[in-house]
Amino acid sequence: MMFIAAYRIAWKDMMGDFRRRATLSSMLFFAVAVLVIFQAAFDPDRAEARRLLPGLLWVTILFTSLVGLGRVFQAEEEDGAFEGLLLAPAPRGVIFLGKWLGNLVLTLIVEAGLLPLAFILFNVEAWDAFFPLLGILVLGTLGLTALGVLLAVMTQAARSRETLLALLLLPLVAPLLIAGVQAASALLQGGEIGDWLRLMVIFDIVYLALAPWAFGWLVEE
Amino acid sequence: MDRFLKLQTLLGVITLILLATGLWFVWNAPADFQQGGAVRILFVHVPSAKMALFAYLVLTLASVHHLWKKGEGADIIAEAAAPVGAAFAAVTLASGSIWGKPMWGTWWAWDARLTSVLVLFILYVGIIAMRSAMDDAVRAGRVTAILVIIGAVDLPIIHFSVQWWRTLHQPASLGGGGKPSITGPLLTPLVIMSIAFVAMGAYLLAVKARAVRDRRLLTALEVERELA
Repeated sequence: MMFIAAYRIAWKDMMGDFRRRATLSSMLFFAVAVLVIFQAAFDPDRAEARRLLPGLLWVTILFTSLVGLGRVFQAEEEDGAFEGLLLAPAPRGVIFLGKWLGNLVLTLIVEAGLLPLAFILFNVEAWDAFFPLLGILVLGTLGLTALGVLLAVMTQAARSRETLLALLLLPLVAPLLIAGVQAASALLQGGEIGDWLRLMVIFDIVYLALAPWAFGWLVEE
Repeated sequence: MDRFLKLQTLLGVITLILLATGLWFVWNAPADFQQGGAVRILFVHVPSAKMALFAYLVLTLASVHHLWKKGEGADIIAEAAAPVGAAFAAVTLASGSIWGKPMWGTWWAWDARLTSVLVLFILYVGIIAMRSAMDDAVRAGRVTAILVIIGAVDLPIIHFSVQWWRTLHQPASLGGGGKPSITGPLLTPLVIMSIAFVAMGAYLLAVKARAVRDRRLLTALEVERELA
């Protein structure tokens, strides 16, 4: 099974990060900081908080994922390790899937911590919708991280790459953001949810199919 | 005189003649029964919106060709097409706003089309920024080409999602967003202006492509001189 290679790359990234506690902790605290900023900026009452929560969640996740994406290839930038990674006896697409999986797991851990925190900090009593809401976040994160890791590879050699990454990611991810916010709103306020989930699935499929292929082109010498 | 410059001059002359004819028709067109004189701005707005999209098509084709055949010519076209498209998108947004103020009572509304064009404009800016942020020109060409293809895949999804969002959420809040069915004395100037804008797009592309080509030649010469 060649997907074992993807799993091993993801495992390497995750273990490296758990030991150094670098990316995961900075993403988590960044997310909390964004929540505090939102509370300070909008100061919503309970009804408003319930209405604003989907948007707040997604914007926080988007900003937080930028923090994580800026570091996806940090370990590979030292000592020519990126070339070493490309020499791995696996198709380039599988190498991409490995890097994506590592970033996905980190982002999902952050989201699992972020969601209850947002409920508590904004006084939203929606615990019965906790798992469906988490499911929506997971569904959106698949596509978000696929596109994000791909853009991280593209901007790797660029000057002021983190600004560039944000400039490219935000417009391209707009459909996912719209669908994610609408689906979460429908869950909390009632309304049609199926179409938005379908849109997210389409986005996920498109980017999970496109990104490994594009990665192959990008690293070709 | 090189052939490219001749082509550019020819395109420039054609553009000028067409624009002058088109604007003459626009000037003499009757005022619209509902919109009055403000309808005239649509003769700039509609063609530039079409050109903003058409430029992305050219950009995509050039990028695919560059990735596939690795030719430098396609890369030069791709580098030149991005700012041209960005300019048309900017004109579309600006002229739309100017039209929107008297017609809708607001400069901006989060209508489906407006949002799509705004995202398209940001995407153009991102593509230009991507290319200029890289030192290695060969790599910059390839990375930008892939970004353009990602954008080409994403743009329909953006359009689709924004349309859904705006129609499911608040159905047709602004009736003016619909395309007016246009006839007779207003149709002629629109057709001429559309052709004029196509010619203008080709002219701008030629000017920009020549500049890009010359700059690349210059860089190559400078590298050669430093080596010598």
